Amino acid sequence: MRIGIVCPYSMDVPGGVQFHVRDLAETLIAMGHEVSVLAPADDDQPLPPYVVAAGRAVPVPYNGSVARLNFGPISAARTRRWLHQGDFDVLHVHEPLTPSLSLLAVMSARGPVVATFHTAMTRSRALAAGAPVARVVLERITGRIAVSELARRVQVEHLDGGAVEIPNGVSVAHFADAEPLPGWPGECRPGYGGTVGFLGRFTEPRKGFDILARALAEVMPRRPGLRLLLAGPGDLDEVDLPPVVAERTTFLGKVSEEDKARMLRSVDLYIAPNTGGESFGMILTEAMAAGAPVVATDLDAFRRVLDGGRAGALFPNGDAASLGEAVTALLDDGERRRELAEHAERVVAAYDWPVVAARVLEVYNSAIEALGETVSGADPPAQW
Amino acid sequence: MPGMGWVIGVVAVVVVIASYVTWTAGRVDRLHLRAASAGRALDSQLVRRAAAAAVLAETELAGDPAGADLYAAARAALDAREDDREASENDLTRMLRKQALDPQEPNGAAVIAASRRVALARQMHTDLVRAALGARERPLVRLLRLNRKHTRPAYFDIDDPTLSVG
Repeated sequence: MRIGIVCPYSMDVPGGVQFHVRDLAETLIAMGHEVSVLAPADDDQPLPPYVVAAGRAVPVPYNGSVARLNFGPISAARTRRWLHQGDFDVLHVHEPLTPSLSLLAVMSARGPVVATFHTAMTRSRALAAGAPVARVVLERITGRIAVSELARRVQVEHLDGGAVEIPNGVSVAHFADAEPLPGWPGECRPGYGGTVGFLGRFTEPRKGFDILARALAEVMPRRPGLRLLLAGPGDLDEVDLPPVVAERTTFLGKVSEEDKARMLRSVDLYIAPNTGGESFGMILTEAMAAGAPVVATDLDAFRRVLDGGRAGALFPNGDAASLGEAVTALLDDGERRRELAEHAERVVAAYDWPVVAARVLEVYNSAIEALGETVSGADPPAQW
Repeated sequence: MPGMGWVIGVVAVVVVIASYVTWTAGRVDRLHLRAASAGRALDSQLVRRAAAAAVLAETELAGDPAGADLYAAARAALDAREDDREASENDLTRMLRKQALDPQEPNGAAVIAASRRVALARQMHTDLVRAALGARERPLVRLLRLNRKHTRPAYFDIDDPTLSVG
């Protein structure tokens, strides 16, 4: 199948959508499909062979953060040329309601268009700008995919339409085969030692790092040898760590994809104390793929990924004391940790990229069948 | 010549209105054609599902009373007249839900996959019908009767056919 994928954000800036597009494209190529990805990029920028540059991205403040987007006559012309030359069976755009390449591609393509909605934003500008604009875009989309239950609910409640839920994929082998960092996780036996891990923006309150810090401040004095392996962007000075925790923390800073997998292989327990705002919980599937038993907040999104608590332990949101108890109990019980990791291994198989990509292909085929045609680029130059 | 400005203005307005009407007429046509095409795709997915269910009934469930019931439901779905198609498809979904399908076994896997494809086809059909109905309701479309070429598309109202596995 000839597949055109549009990524709205620069591929050289790390981000959930970009990784998703990269992994999906590479998985589909490995399955024997022809894939071309259109993404914002300079012409002289080194790019994977399947990426076509759509011109320089302009930083635009959007939805509370800075997004690098492109939107203008040059990008529009390049998008149309890409569609024309690509001769795709299906067009797959990501986040089509942001003012971006994805929106340009949807408006200049005819034929089967599949769109993936990543964020569960309910107050996006496109929605606020009014349903009529969104409707003109959405009626050109044949199949909608939401990466989480929350993102799906936004579709149903605010965008007046259904969406099939297909979760974010994870490259299970990449995590399962990673080499642990030298000297980790170290000794862990009842009453002594163990390594707990946390990865992410620990300065952001909703990630709940302070809850983990408080829990560890309780547990560490009673448990010699217990260490925290911490990674993520930010400065350790910005968080107020209790002295006992600071002393036993190893901070890796911002880690590469490679080191992320190694870090997750280096812990006895992975802790996700997030207080909310997570629509999926990518880090959980990554930890599960790495074989790290997970302790997570009982958010709906996490409960679903953790199979109701069978593939990882859950604790009440914000409750540092319960988290501390769960950590102590699990570090004392190697058998229980093994059970959780084994069940997690079975659960995470459903999130492996080849499985997820096969489900995306079903949506492509359904969209092609629904319209009975393939993509053509030349919609007469925008009259809208 | 003061009259010239008026002429240009009127011509411009007429051109803008004419393009908008043309664009809207094209949009109405396209949405109706797409809804009809999605209806045909949904029909063929429903047929495939019924056929897969019949195969399952005749192989894995041969000799089992549940297999006979499933076969009857699959036949009924295939033979249903248009006005009781929805009810027959829902019966088949209910029958399939009663079976513990094994995704490792080819005939069971075929039914599970066919059910997922029905769910996708139905969702796309529903979205396209909604878009076509929305376009029909626009005042300009009603005023100029731009929808007169097309019969009113109808939803295909069935229960979610997705089967839980495992």
